Amino acid sequence: MLPLEYDRSQDRDIVVRDRFDNFRRDFLRTLVTPEMIEEHRRSPLGQHSERLERLLIYFRQRPLDERYAVKVVEPFRKYQVVRLSGHRGTSPRVVDEAIYASANEACHGLFLRCIRDLLEA
Amino acid sequence: MTPVRLFGYTDRISVKPGEAIQFYVSAEGTETAEAQLVRLIHGDQNPAGPGFVEQEVACTANGTWRVERQFTQVGSFLEVDDPEGRLAFADSFTLFAFIHPTWPASGKRQTIIGRWDGDRKQGYGIGLDEKGCLQFWIGRGEETVERLAADVPLQVQMWYFVAATFDARTRQATLYQVGVGNRYNGLLGKVALVDYDSHTSAIFRSKPGNLASTPFLMAGSRGRDAQQRACASELYWGKIDRCGAFDQPLQPAELDTIRSGLVPAMENLVAFWDTSAGYTDRGIGDLVVDVGWHKLNARGYNRPVRGQTGWNWNGFTDCFRLAPHEFGGIEFHADALTDCNWTSTRVVTLPRGLKSGCYAMRLRSGSGTRLSEEHVVFFVRPEKPQARIAFLFPTLTYLAFANERLSFDHPEREALTGQPAVLSDIDIEMYMRADFGLSTYDMHADGSGVCYSSYHRPIMNMRPKYRTPSFDVASGLAADLSIIAWLDQSDFDYEVLTDEDLHRDGSAALSPYACVISGTRPEYYTERMLDATEDYIAGGGRYIYAGGNGFNATAGVRDGEPWIVECRRRDDGYKPWISRYGEHYMATDGMRGGPWKVLGRATQKLVGIGLSSSGGGRSEPYRRMPDSYHRTVSWITKGVDGEIIGDFGLANNGAAGLALDYYDRALGTPPHTRIIASSGGHTDSYVVNQQLVLYSYLGLYGSYDWRVHADMTYFTAPHGGAVFACGSVAFAQSLPVNNFRNNSSCVLANVVEAFVRAGRLPGFAWVNEEKQWA
Repeated sequence: MLPLEYDRSQDRDIVVRDRFDNFRRDFLRTLVTPEMIEEHRRSPLGQHSERLERLLIYFRQRPLDERYAVKVVEPFRKYQVVRLSGHRGTSPRVVDEAIYASANEACHGLFLRCIRDLLEA
Repeated sequence: MTPVRLFGYTDRISVKPGEAIQFYVSAEGTETAEAQLVRLIHGDQNPAGPGFVEQEVACTANGTWRVERQFTQVGSFLEVDDPEGRLAFADSFTLFAFIHPTWPASGKRQTIIGRWDGDRKQGYGIGLDEKGCLQFWIGRGEETVERLAADVPLQVQMWYFVAATFDARTRQATLYQVGVGNRYNGLLGKVALVDYDSHTSAIFRSKPGNLASTPFLMAGSRGRDAQQRACASELYWGKIDRCGAFDQPLQPAELDTIRSGLVPAMENLVAFWDTSAGYTDRGIGDLVVDVGWHKLNARGYNRPVRGQTGWNWNGFTDCFRLAPHEFGGIEFHADALTDCNWTSTRVVTLPRGLKSGCYAMRLRSGSGTRLSEEHVVFFVRPEKPQARIAFLFPTLTYLAFANERLSFDHPEREALTGQPAVLSDIDIEMYMRADFGLSTYDMHADGSGVCYSSYHRPIMNMRPKYRTPSFDVASGLAADLSIIAWLDQSDFDYEVLTDEDLHRDGSAALSPYACVISGTRPEYYTERMLDATEDYIAGGGRYIYAGGNGFNATAGVRDGEPWIVECRRRDDGYKPWISRYGEHYMATDGMRGGPWKVLGRATQKLVGIGLSSSGGGRSEPYRRMPDSYHRTVSWITKGVDGEIIGDFGLANNGAAGLALDYYDRALGTPPHTRIIASSGGHTDSYVVNQQLVLYSYLGLYGSYDWRVHADMTYFTAPHGGAVFACGSVAFAQSLPVNNFRNNSSCVLANVVEAFVRAGRLPGFAWVNEEKQWA
């Protein structure tokens, strides 16, 4: 492993990764349907259809500084969505004011944000 | 206003009533804390269970404690014992070292070796500048420090021979940097078009100053913290192999001789640290030996990693035991921590007659939203074992995971758990802080894996209420307390032990008990612990493996320093990082790191089942298997209605989850083992354990591969012994549901009742095959 924060300016494989992800996102956008979003809302952590799982696999593989997480505001009562910094020692930042009543609901809120990023990118 | 924060740890975690225990507390935003001894009964706040339960206990130490903010020296380095100041060079000298930087361009200055006070600008040193160029510098306390830099930057993870000479007569300084990479010992091969060598010189205006108080350090130099306390700073990232000093300027030809591996025994050799001296097959200590005239030995702080491949390692041997002279690398990290070394806040003599269990000194300060609370946890063994049951807290596993920050900076963590991280305030605070160290699941900032963890620092997963963010379930101590709460509400009389006791005392720790119950994830085991468990069962002991992913990973603990665990990671197991080739053997005891399975000690061989798969998200129930109706074992499921066991739980609503263990005759499951129940229907977030497959391929997931399941098993052992294995990390967290009245609880109670009863086990009389099926 190289240092967690080494200078990546000379890393050519970032270009390759970005190109791969661009093709991948083009395809993933075609999978997004209201039915699939509803499937996730019903069961964020259950067994999923292959279309939904493919999207989730992509979201779980995003670079850390593009990754979202759930933050506990009050255990078992209030949660919100944050974005990781990807830098050790730097706090995640809250992405919006939405408060969710359960971790599962926040997971779905996080999923909707990932979908929005995908469709807007 | 500074937020009120309290953190603490103890000198030891396993004590007896009447013994003294030291508490180390650091406080921010307050000068007092209210201390209250409590017994911890349940740790998971999940509202589907009994919630957090503690019991206040009378103790003379209860009351107001004076507390203060403590200083923590983070980073590993070596300090030379030089009482006569032989290294306080006032005239000519030479320094040399073999080095392998792991983060040269860190943006901060690093000292490799030297006697340098960076605050007072006195002394000398060789090190790296912010951009990763080698430097030699001297100072006399005046404003200007004289520096000589190399003209070629150091490459990451490559070996170099470096030397600096200073001729006091001519004031000439030279800096010598030569790459000594071979085909095996570095990141880049011969084909890379990279400049490694540099030879520069300069005329310095003055000679180095020398403060009597400046220590000669390796991998750091003297600095001051914000309160002007002396500390080690300008810490170095990387490996240092042999190094030394002469009190005259060596000529290039002489430096070439040292570079070839020979150190001339000249009169003016002041010190030569042979970093590979003193190794034994059973481990390497913290003392680095000066084999020169003056025996200026160096001692490690925050345990520098020893036995690492050296500048002359040629790839033929993979272990420091086989060719110690090729493994002289000592690895340093500026974020390493094995002991906070705080000043003792309080010595507490525990009350006599204290019930054996898990205790904490609860510290509180502030009120309302400014209330800060800390539980400084320890375990109380009985004065003399009397109960029939012992619960064994898997404290080595707590240590291995202590303060892990996988959810924040391990790119594969979310893919592994199949769910987004759920972060609590304490997780974020720990990610922000650099003073409480890392876990053996993390990487140092230079990308190298962390191989040491310690409880001489505040650790979060050895606290009640703690939830692992990447799974969003109570884990570590908070999960194991579900078994304590279950035992507490039953009529069973029990006592507690820790891994530390098992490692120290061997099977004598277990032998007083008819029945021993493990924690939910007893994953990290030393050889002594594994042997003791095997001997206990083979000798007639009755063992309940109440978890999953147990007895899986090797761990090293040095005698007399039980607070530090060592883990090395091999390519044949689940791993958050991997040791470099040649660095898989533990410096603690010479054992091979990685999974026990590879050493012929699969978990199945000990307790009947072993890791099949792991994942996150939804947990599943068990279904009774045909064996459960066999008359030799039907007593285990007595009172269970129907086929389903554990379709509930505080860990994702099922008794089978997180990590699952299965029966496998090919891995050593005893031949007569019965499968009482099995889980199934796991989601695709559960993936077959990498150790069970030879290739990676599509379909190793819950809904595709039958191996993704947990088996609940039972077998009888020699001399009246037996093992009941639950098969899943989540099992114990199903016990508290519905106020402990449920079928998981019923099964466990049947087994514990049978195991503690004197005499033969139920079912022993059913010997004729035709009558054995109900």
